[in-house]
Amino acid sequence: MSVIIQCRGVEKIYRQGAVEVPALRGIDLDIESGDFATLAGPSGSGKTTLLSLIGGLDRPTAGEIAVDGEPIVKMEKNGLADLRLHKIGFVFQTYSLIPVLSAIENVEFILRLLDMPLAEREARAKEVLREVGLEGLETRRPSRLSGGQQQRVAVARALGPKPAIVLADEPTANLDSKNAEELIALMAQLNATSGITFLIATHDSRVMAHSRRRIEMIDGRITTDERQGAAT
Amino acid sequence: MIGRLSLLAPVAWRNLWRNPRRTLITLLVVAVGVWSILMFDVMLKAWTTSSKEASLRTLTGEAQIHATGYLDDPNIVHRLPKPDGAILRVLNSPKVDGWAARVRVPAIIQSEYRTRAMTFLGVSPQDEKKISDLPSQVVSGRYLRSDADIGIVIGRDLADKLKTRLGKRVIVMAQTADGHLAEASYTIVGEFDGPVPAQDEFSFTGLRTAQRMLGIGGDISEISLDGAKMLPLDGVVAALKRAAPSRDVEPWTVLVPLAYTMETFSQSYIFVWLMIMFVLMAIGIVNTQLMAVFERTREFGLLQALGMRPGLILLQVALESALLIGIGVVVGVVLMLATLIPFRNGLDLGFLAAGSEMFGAGRVLYPQLDPGDAVRFSLIVWVLGIGAALWPARMASRTEPIVAMGEN
Repeated sequence: MSVIIQCRGVEKIYRQGAVEVPALRGIDLDIESGDFATLAGPSGSGKTTLLSLIGGLDRPTAGEIAVDGEPIVKMEKNGLADLRLHKIGFVFQTYSLIPVLSAIENVEFILRLLDMPLAEREARAKEVLREVGLEGLETRRPSRLSGGQQQRVAVARALGPKPAIVLADEPTANLDSKNAEELIALMAQLNATSGITFLIATHDSRVMAHSRRRIEMIDGRITTDERQGAAT
Repeated sequence: MIGRLSLLAPVAWRNLWRNPRRTLITLLVVAVGVWSILMFDVMLKAWTTSSKEASLRTLTGEAQIHATGYLDDPNIVHRLPKPDGAILRVLNSPKVDGWAARVRVPAIIQSEYRTRAMTFLGVSPQDEKKISDLPSQVVSGRYLRSDADIGIVIGRDLADKLKTRLGKRVIVMAQTADGHLAEASYTIVGEFDGPVPAQDEFSFTGLRTAQRMLGIGGDISEISLDGAKMLPLDGVVAALKRAAPSRDVEPWTVLVPLAYTMETFSQSYIFVWLMIMFVLMAIGIVNTQLMAVFERTREFGLLQALGMRPGLILLQVALESALLIGIGVVVGVVLMLATLIPFRNGLDLGFLAAGSEMFGAGRVLYPQLDPGDAVRFSLIVWVLGIGAALWPARMASRTEPIVAMGEN
């Protein structure tokens, strides 16, 4: 399989006044296309920072990152936005939906940014909402959906444009165990059926149990990087 | 671009109503601001028009013809022959709505108790009715009946000051053409109640009666005229100057500089008021839009994370402002139109009595909204309002997504 995410010597230092706080200390990482990998580690280990850098939401202090072969560290803001739009789907810890749009409109919003024709867009939005089990709830606004349902909409929105990569930051953190289990199973299934690469920052053992590759971080360094059985 | 607008417009519209109270307050600020600008415009224009009309419809007319030197020294020496030839052809052409020839000289009027200086006019009553309101302002007795009428019509205030009244006789003294002092006795046949200066300054008799008293044959002092309504006055004045190159032909803008200045400056006053109101509105708009942007910082970060370019975020916030201010502007114009409904038959300033007349306005103002002004001022407020809202919009679009996502 080809490498879809490549990090070389990635460092990130936050400055709080005169104090420098290193968040990442020389990360070398390759994620292969179609992988279902988890970034595990305690709070402050650098999981979210690494995801943000890979997603182009922030820039590293040093090092190189390439997504699908494109170096992103020196990319302009618009270029990064286009990269995210076309290649990366995000799922955040909080549900992060646009509150004034219904479930289907949230999914369609991204597809409209991609200039997808109306009929194709509607069909695709319905398809992904069906895939995440939200058939019949398409017209509900986020305020009328449960936490689990909102996170499913977020997943559907991330999958809508058929991205190469989904970056998920603690996607189960705000869900009860039943909803968390269902969401993990759903993501694993989508990875298996669509071949989309998933990189998930988590300290939820249930998520780690589903991953094929478990990367552990402590104090901004990768301490363990091991492959497990296939995602189920 | 159209596709992007159709994507963002519904979102912008819904975002406006996420905080209905704030939206309504901003709408109110814009609507009241626009209403006040238009109200100021309408009232100032009504006042200016009224002042101009009061001045022009008293005796001035839209233009006058005099002998050279009359305007500096309105003496009987500076007089004109009765109009004929080329000048008469212009006066009787469709370029001119109406005209009247007059004798107009400084004079002394004397009752049995008092003496006052005034302007003595010999007029043709039928011609005057076409260009002056004074004939319709007679409140007791009658107006003059013909050029040969030997009665005199004076202002009610002048009658009070002379301690005389309708039916009594007064003596008028004025310089004649040969330099002597002529005096004649007239019976007061009418009193008029016009604008304050006219009441104090003018007394009228028949044109031929005045010509006979002053010994000027058929000569006159001035011709006053109104140009055709649909034609520019400049064209009429130019035609008259060509027809009578040795005469003074002047438009009202030269004859009544105060009225002209008021008309000219009213537009400047309106723009000053517009700027004052706009600064107040801008403070409200920027304040509320800043609050709206700060509250949604995380959302803007999310939109960027999802792949929305910063320029589109700026466009979305600007679109929200454009909608908000646009609705406010429309509400302001509708409010303005509603305000004018009670005054469609005029705003009677009778309660201000002499106050309004002292400033040269008539007693009734006719406030009317000029559609051109409504569109122009609305567009200015709308465009400037969007300009003011671009600052918060720019802040929203420039926030780094990771920073924005970290906000709660």
